[in-house]
Amino acid sequence: MKRLGASIRKRLPGPRWLVIAVPYLWMLLFFAIPFAIALKISFSSAAIAMPPYTPLVEWVGDSVKLSLNTGNYLYLVRDSLYVNAYLSSLKIALVSTFLCLLVGYPIAYAIARMEPANRNIALMLVILPSWTSFLIRIYAWVGILKNNGLLNNFLMNLGLIDEPLQILHTPVAVYIGIVYAYLPFMVLPLYANLVKHDHRLIEAANDLGARPWKSFLTITLPLSKAGIIAGAMLVLIPVVGEFVIPEMLGGADTLMIGRVLWQEFFNNRDWPVASAVAIVMLALLIVPIMVFHRYQSKEMESRLS
Amino acid sequence: MSQPRNSRFTLAMLVLGFVFLYAPILSLVVYSFNESRLVTVWSGFSVKWYGELFRDQQMMAAAWVSVQVAFWTACASVVLGTMAAMVMTRFRDFRGKTLFGALITAPLVMPEVITGLSILLLFVSIGPIIGIGEQRGMLTIWIAHVTFCMAFVTVVISSRLGELDRSLEEAAMDLGANRLKVFFVITLPIIAPALVSGWLLAFTLSLDDLVIASFVSGPSSTTLPMKVFSSVRLGLSPKINALASLMILAVSIAAVIGWWLMTRDEKKRQRDMQMALQKG
Amino acid sequence: MAAVPNGAPAGAPKNDKLGADNYLRIESVRKEFDGFVAVDDVSISIRKGEIFALLGASGCGKSTLLRCLGGFEKPTKGKVVLDGQDITELPPYERPINMMFQSYALFPHMTVEQNVAFGLKQDGMPKADIARRVSEMLALVQMEKYARRRPHQLSGGQQQRVALARSLAKSPKLLLLDEPMGALDKKLRSQMQLELVNIVERLGVTCVMVTHDQEEAMTMAHRIAIMDAGWIRQLGTPDEIYEQPSCRFTAEFIGSVNLIEGKIKDDEKDFITIASPALDCLAYVGHGVTGFEGQDVALALRPEKVAVSKEEPAQPHNKVKGVIEDIAYFGSHSVFHVRLANGSKVLANMINSQRWASEKFTWNDAVWLSWDDQAGVVLTS
Repeated sequence: MKRLGASIRKRLPGPRWLVIAVPYLWMLLFFAIPFAIALKISFSSAAIAMPPYTPLVEWVGDSVKLSLNTGNYLYLVRDSLYVNAYLSSLKIALVSTFLCLLVGYPIAYAIARMEPANRNIALMLVILPSWTSFLIRIYAWVGILKNNGLLNNFLMNLGLIDEPLQILHTPVAVYIGIVYAYLPFMVLPLYANLVKHDHRLIEAANDLGARPWKSFLTITLPLSKAGIIAGAMLVLIPVVGEFVIPEMLGGADTLMIGRVLWQEFFNNRDWPVASAVAIVMLALLIVPIMVFHRYQSKEMESRLS
Repeated sequence: MSQPRNSRFTLAMLVLGFVFLYAPILSLVVYSFNESRLVTVWSGFSVKWYGELFRDQQMMAAAWVSVQVAFWTACASVVLGTMAAMVMTRFRDFRGKTLFGALITAPLVMPEVITGLSILLLFVSIGPIIGIGEQRGMLTIWIAHVTFCMAFVTVVISSRLGELDRSLEEAAMDLGANRLKVFFVITLPIIAPALVSGWLLAFTLSLDDLVIASFVSGPSSTTLPMKVFSSVRLGLSPKINALASLMILAVSIAAVIGWWLMTRDEKKRQRDMQMALQKG
Repeated sequence: MAAVPNGAPAGAPKNDKLGADNYLRIESVRKEFDGFVAVDDVSISIRKGEIFALLGASGCGKSTLLRCLGGFEKPTKGKVVLDGQDITELPPYERPINMMFQSYALFPHMTVEQNVAFGLKQDGMPKADIARRVSEMLALVQMEKYARRRPHQLSGGQQQRVALARSLAKSPKLLLLDEPMGALDKKLRSQMQLELVNIVERLGVTCVMVTHDQEEAMTMAHRIAIMDAGWIRQLGTPDEIYEQPSCRFTAEFIGSVNLIEGKIKDDEKDFITIASPALDCLAYVGHGVTGFEGQDVALALRPEKVAVSKEEPAQPHNKVKGVIEDIAYFGSHSVFHVRLANGSKVLANMINSQRWASEKFTWNDAVWLSWDDQAGVVLTS
């Protein structure tokens, strides 16, 4: 009996395989396979049924009928709404990533040059707002940016303007919201990179005659490239699919693909088209995602050596 | 040792940055005490909105749902995330490790609409077959949340594991402990603070999620963000300000406690090292 | 290769305190990483109770070899046999070997006592026995008073003692030391070197240590293996390695040495002479060597064996004139850098045995350097 138990135990996967298998299977099942399913459903058509789409494969008499409806994709391509939404999303994502970089870089730079004791406090202060609800903080901006909101009232009380500035429900509000919400995602990787810089390089540059701005542009900036890319990816990729910010701060004409997908799904109940929108979005983002993944693995590996 | 110093310019930018980050939060808190319903016109001090908030049954029910889901999400994410982090940082290469790494870290950047929609489609397609997910509710939200929170926890814990001196684990093995024992007796206690950070991070991410929850929830499992979103669509309400202020208060208290614990630890550490140096 | 002097002692001098030969056998161990050969077919046989040092610069493979012994790397080829048992495939926790890590690797969340007890707990020793053994080990390293402290409350030297106690607690058959003195300052280092050797010898533990510090290896070890690029250049006792280097690499690695290049002129059974462009007269070596006439050789002369004088020495051979170019004053001795007529430089040590002895010579003095027949070693590679 004991020998049987021992030989069974030998055949079972050891703890090492279990540790690999559990997260692997979970992610395969709940992250990877769903994409395949979304792909499959993007090829079916909407139906008044539960679930609201036609099956891909069905029995018709004695034979199996495979109906691949490419209509959804054709619809996406033909209807200018979707093409515009994709382009608009990319544009907004690129602009806001750039703005986020402009705002976030000085913050990361300043923190990286603080006394070590103060750095952690400063970092915590940057991260702290993110621990409170994202939704509610965007909601705060509604109150600030609307026509009789805090900003306009403040400016009018100071006499700087006569008419309220129309900011809410314009792209400007969306940019502000995105920069606000994603700032920590830009600051943290930038900080992680900048803090490793050897200050003596700057001292050497100064010694050789370069003024502060010059040494920043020629030494600090290029060396922080990896941090910039990491921060940019962490902002750009999710922003392409953002829903909440354009929904609350943008106008009816602020086209973003995340909103389109939401409306397609919840308002039109057209699951196949929503799936097609998602698949195309995924295809667009594959390259940036791979760039990000390469950076991530390099980060994890460099810490091991 | 050379120490960089901040010029007035960079310090000014830092201050501006912090003002930018905190002004909206401050406005939320201030106007939660506003007497009038109009969120942007101050008409007097009042705490009535806090009372209104607590009397709102639906809001309180949604909050309870969110807290439960967030709690279990955080627990599961830490367990799975630690496993994933160990695989990424401590295990030798195996076939499929690159795919593993990609799967584990992709959720960090994946737009939530994509993750939310596809997981829902999974539940709808496979649910009837294997029995989970057919009825959407807290279970499905939990599954979806764990799927995307795991990535963040993995990053936090991998980072800590990467910094850990390998020779500690080797020394334990050298002294006779097998790999499993080394993990539970040596590695885990030492990385415990990272586990706590990971737990808190996952808890916050789950508590705060709107998009994914909207896709995968069921009729009886409305989460707090979903409730807030639907009420905000109807217009601004100081009740939401009150809710916001309470959350800010909770987070600030937690942050202060955390900071106090860390500095107390640090001071004790300094004292110990001084003591050691003196006694030679 | 060294030109073996006739009549030289063969093999290592037998130290009566040491035990059986072949207690630890490293047999043709080879370790490759992705095509890079870190350890290149190394074979060593170590006696029981011996303190053996692997000496070399960074990257020579010594640490990799040590890790193979500890079980943290698996050799690509070859065997490791300890006390008759083949341990090549065993994981670290199944080997009767313990290692003292360079960073000490004391568990930060455990007290000193718990650290030392850790290995004993893994063996399932009864609590009372563990407590007894722990206090025994702490007494050995004089750390009994610190039993309840945590590692970060200890100084570097104290941490090292605890690490030593922990690695000896299980009475391992083999103790591995990875750069044991690396983290200590100079004064503490010399003190700890002697203490460690005392403890290890008292317990009769066989020990393999890795270091890049030649002084450390020479002071602590019974035998040293000098490693370079994954293989052993020379293996022997400290004085063998110092006095009988087998090749230029080893001669230059340990201490400082003068290499006088030349050709063998007369090759006889009990003496040879060397003609060198650096010398006006011949160099005379008072023993025969396994070489041949006309062979290119280098005469290795240690600076302390070169005498400096103002007047020409009487001997017909082994002398040369030069000018003092530099003097390095070390207090106890001075090193003269002497430039010869043909441009090459010779170092000569002089012990300052009399007060102000160093004032006898100064820069730009013309001096004569001389050495005796047995002072040099003839190197052919």
